[in-house]
Formats: sequence, structure tokens, C-alpha cells
Amino acid sequence: MNNDEGSTGQNGQNDWNRREFIKGASSFGALMVLMGGVPLQAEDKTNAAPATAYSTVGAPLNCALIGCGIWGREVLQTLALLPNAPVVAVCDTYEPFLRRAKEAAPKAQTYTDYKKLLEQKDVQGVIVATPSYLHREIVEAALKAGKHVYCEAPLATTVEDAQAIAKAAKAAVKLNFQSGLQMRSDPQRHFLLQFVRSGAMGRTIMARSQWHKKESWRRTSPNAQRETEINWRLRKDQSIGLVGEIGIHQLDLISWFIGGQPTAVGGFGGILQWNDGRDVADTIQTVFEFPSGVNLSYDCTLANSFDADYDMIYGTDAAVMMRGNKAWMFKEADSPLLGWEVYARKDQFYQETGIALVANATKLVALQNKATEVVPFSETALHYALEAFVKNSNVVTTGVEDFVSNYGDSTDGLREHLAGLSKSRLPAAGYREGFAATVSVIKANEAISKGQKVSMQKEWFEI
Amino acid sequence: MMNTAFKNSVFGARTVAALAGVVMLAASARAEEWVRYDARPGSKVKIEGTSTIHDWTMEGQIIGGYMELPKGVVLDPSQAAVAGTKDGKLEAHVESSVPVRSVKSGKKGMDEVMQQAMNADKHPKIQYHLTEMTLKEPHAAGTPLQFDTKGELAVNGVTNKISMPVTVESVDKTKLKVIGATPLKMTDYKVTPPAPSLGLGLIKTGDEVKISFEWLVAMPEKSADAK
Repeated sequence: MNNDEGSTGQNGQNDWNRREFIKGASSFGALMVLMGGVPLQAEDKTNAAPATAYSTVGAPLNCALIGCGIWGREVLQTLALLPNAPVVAVCDTYEPFLRRAKEAAPKAQTYTDYKKLLEQKDVQGVIVATPSYLHREIVEAALKAGKHVYCEAPLATTVEDAQAIAKAAKAAVKLNFQSGLQMRSDPQRHFLLQFVRSGAMGRTIMARSQWHKKESWRRTSPNAQRETEINWRLRKDQSIGLVGEIGIHQLDLISWFIGGQPTAVGGFGGILQWNDGRDVADTIQTVFEFPSGVNLSYDCTLANSFDADYDMIYGTDAAVMMRGNKAWMFKEADSPLLGWEVYARKDQFYQETGIALVANATKLVALQNKATEVVPFSETALHYALEAFVKNSNVVTTGVEDFVSNYGDSTDGLREHLAGLSKSRLPAAGYREGFAATVSVIKANEAISKGQKVSMQKEWFEI
Repeated sequence: MMNTAFKNSVFGARTVAALAGVVMLAASARAEEWVRYDARPGSKVKIEGTSTIHDWTMEGQIIGGYMELPKGVVLDPSQAAVAGTKDGKLEAHVESSVPVRSVKSGKKGMDEVMQQAMNADKHPKIQYHLTEMTLKEPHAAGTPLQFDTKGELAVNGVTNKISMPVTVESVDKTKLKVIGATPLKMTDYKVTPPAPSLGLGLIKTGDEVKISFEWLVAMPEKSADAK
């Protein structure tokens, strides 16, 4: 609490004493007695059972990280916040990165060869955060070694590699595979999905997403060879560019919300600002065509930061804007009254009024918290995604053990059994979602490179 | 686990036979006299309970174990009579179990709480051993067979005798479905009804729960072929 400067309240009264008193009271019971109340527990003689102290923390999963770059360290920091995700191994080919990873995960074994890491017996789940073009070999080896796999998005940079990963993940019935489309695990997005699907926006007519930032996308390094290695994103032969590395999350979100896969994609792009020897565009504009005429226009630039990043879906009655873990609805004047929006928090965007869409807002009101002060589900999407990875990997492991020990080790019926456990899983993108989104952005990158429209072929999406 | 349960129930008889020096004979006789149905995937377990806030349900899909019937007993609901029973009594061996952790609520945190309440790390299985099975007569041909059963149920390491009615349906020639339900008190098995302290205050679960199940058992494919 901020109690400096005499803590004089807005109405001129000193509210320091009351607050400090509440904070300082050693227990709720003591506080109630001091305030002249009778503790409720003492009254309850017939059923004097106290609160049971069972923990709701799920079983742990020993995690390993392969690829300790900037995103890899983000993963490590997030895992450190989870109560049941000990990091037991880290791997990187670059020693300084490995050292930094070791600082973030002091108990982890360190490796420069991922194959050696996969031999470590107590590793249960592997998070693959290497450059995208290196995913395939590592993912295949990890699944072969019997490890659950979390593979960052995009899965790969070629359709062939993405297909190989999806096939290996599908074949590994006894293992959990999650693709790094972390938005699929975000509770706020699930709340919005229900809202979008509820029809409150009317008929969906189009979608628009953007990601604008003024930065070079070039990473610095003390030596030239390392500089080349670390900047794989800037080279066409190793990278599928902005649409592949960033756009994939936004394309996947829109595909998920409007319930379909793109049938064609057209695009343009160029190097308009960072002409530093790279051959990957720093500014792109694309249109993804979806069935029933609903299209997504997407632009991404490293040359201007105006309005940052967000996703919009437009319906005949309202538009919805999603930004980070916040969202707003903009209603048409002639749209039907929903009722609750009268009481909802509103924000002004120039001449438009955005009605805040907040998950659990009604429950917060019931709890007499002010919805304006509390943003529920305020963890990052990555946090929820990794939480899901830990939980779901354990659901699969225990599900397989229970099935095999009671019915024998046959895959006959096991797939169905695991499918029946879906209620116990936390929402997460699997290999299907990861694969479909990866192929779509690989083709979008192709369209941008050629400046041509690409029609999606059915066989590209077969696993 | 299945094997240990098996040993517990039948090994007594076998030991006597071994003492008589006819081990081989007893073993072969056993194989001839009993028809074994093993648990197969497709079972359902449900635990329904109450709390100070709302009712809750947990569900599982695994019931392991086996049922052995004397050779000659045909549990065919399409017939009025059941061949091989004496005064409705059916001499059957049943050992079955449910992994505690396989019964799930679909609610965040609740499974973990229930597993701790049931000491799942020490007692990972709910186990059942049948002691008596009696056909409810008269049985009308074409309706499921109904039995009164007595048995021992072990939860959280505490074994209690329970009685419950069960129904037996035939799924096909080699498969049977055993259906039943029984009310239980958590405290009878030394399980403290969880009372987690959450944001809304103290939530107390009710002591009484109802367990219901559909247990799928089948003859091994080989003996089914032989029939």
C-alpha cells in the first residue's frame, strides 16, 4: 500500500488508520471480535469442520526447453511462475544463451546437443523454441523419445516439414502434442468466442487484423557468424517472414472465431524501411479468403507503429475489437438492445463508444468488486498455454497408464478413451490447428513473395 | 493389480488343493469349470454429490477386473430362467477396481482436491470384491437380469460391506454389461468431505454421494471363437 505523503484521501480525510488497521489485524477472527462481531465459526457447533487444506495444484510435469533465445527465455520465465512445471533441462547451441537460461532455471541440466537432452530420463515434456526451420528434426526425435511436445508456431517453414510434424504427432497416440498458438488457451479469448458465436454481432461480414511496430527485427550479436545465425528471420531461405512468424497467431484467431479455413490468399510486400541486406519484407498486406465470402485483411509492418496490434471482426449489428487481453464491442445504431451493455464499462475511441467485453464481469459485480478495476484472466496467453501443456500432458500420461493397466497395452480403444478425457483437458491448440495455420501462412508468404493470389489445395492440408 | 486381486480370492482354494498334491489337476479343473469375462473399454463410473453451492458430478471410463461364472451358467436375459443357478444363487467371482484419478470432474482444481481427500497416492484404486449374488425371481424373458449382490468395497484403504442391486444386460454373445448404483457416505470410508475455502467463502461438500456404474466385460476372443 502506498502510505507515504501522509496518505490523505481525496475528501481530505486521513484514511491511513482504517486501512492500516485492517491490514494489521492478525486474522479475520480477531478483526471481527475487535469490531464487536461474533466469529461465525464459534456458532457452528454441529458441523465444526474447518476448511480442508487440499491443494488444487495439479501434478507436476518435468519440462525441458530446446532453444533458449529471446522467446525461449520468455518461456522459462513463464514456466517459473507455474507451481508445477519444474524445468529440468535446457539446450542451446550457443553457450551465452545457455548460460542465461541456466540463470533462469538454476536446477536444469544444460546441453548443447538436443539429442543428449532427450536421453535424460526425467524429462517428460519438451518445449521446442528453436528457429522455425529447425523444428521438424527435433520434434520428431522428441516424440520418438516418448516426450510430450510443445512446438512453437509456426510448426515449420515448408509444407513438407509441417506435414511430417503433424503426422508424427498424430501417430504418437500416447503423447500430448501442443502447437504454440497460445491464444487458443487464453480464457479471455474463449469468453469472446462464445460472445461472437452467440450472434450478438449479427451476421459476420469481414475481419481485419494488424501488427504495427517500428523496429528492425534484426538482433544484435558480438560476432558476425552469430549475427548471421540469430537473424534467420530476415532470410527467405530460412524464414516465412512476418506473416509466418507473427501473422500466424492472428490468422489462427480469426479462422477459429469465424469457424473456417482460408480457401485462398493474396498478398503484397516489400522492403520499405530496413534495407539492410535482408530479403524478407518489412511491410506486408494480405487478404485471406474464407468460405461464404467473409475475408480477413491483414497488414503487418516494421516501419510504423500506429495503433499497434489488434484483431477486429465486423458483424451486421456490431464490431468487436480485441487488443491484448481486452476487447470492446462497437454497436450499430439500429442493433437490438442486449440489456447488460447499459451497465458495462465504456471507453471512447475518437467518435466511437466501445463497450468493454470482460469475461466474468457479471460475477465480479455479484462479488461487489468494481468491474472497472479488475481485469480477470490477466496472465499472458503463453502462461495459459503452458499451464495447459502441463495439465494436458499429465491427463494423457495418466489416461494411458490407467487404460493399459486395466485393459492391456493395445491401441484398440485407447484413442477413444483419451478422447473421452477431453473435459479434463485445458483448451489448447493441437497438431491439427497448428498444422492448418502453418500451411496457410506458408502459402500467404508465397503469395507475398510472388505478388500473386494462391488458391489453397486440399492435399496441402492432409495429415 | 488384477492378478493380486485374483490371488486373494481364489488362491485359498488352490492352496488346499496344492496341499493335497493335485496342483496340476486343480489348475486344469479350474480352467474348465469357470468362464472368465475380462473388463473391456467402454465402462462408465459416475459419482454424484452435493455441496453448499451446487451439486457436482465426477465421471470415469475405467473399471478394471474380471467376472468368472461357473461353466454352464448362461446369463441370457432373453430366457426366463438362468441355467446353473440354485435357488437364484449364482456362484460368481467378481473382482473389480477403479483408478481414483480416472474419475474426473472437468472442473479446475476439483480432481486434485478429491484425489487428496481419498489419499489417492496411498490408495490409488477403489476396489470391489463380490461375496454373494442372487437372482431376483421371477425374471421375465427379454428384460435385463436383476440381482441382489453383497460385497466388499474398499475406498481410501477402508473396506466396508455393501449390498446393492445390479442389472446384467447382454451386449452381444460374448459381452455383458453390469449396471448398478449405490449410495455411500464419505465418512464411512474415512474420507473427510472436502471443504475448500474459495473466493466465495467456505464451500462444504455433502457426506453422501451416489456411485453408479456400467461395467463392460467380455469373454476373451479365443474362448468366444470356441463357443
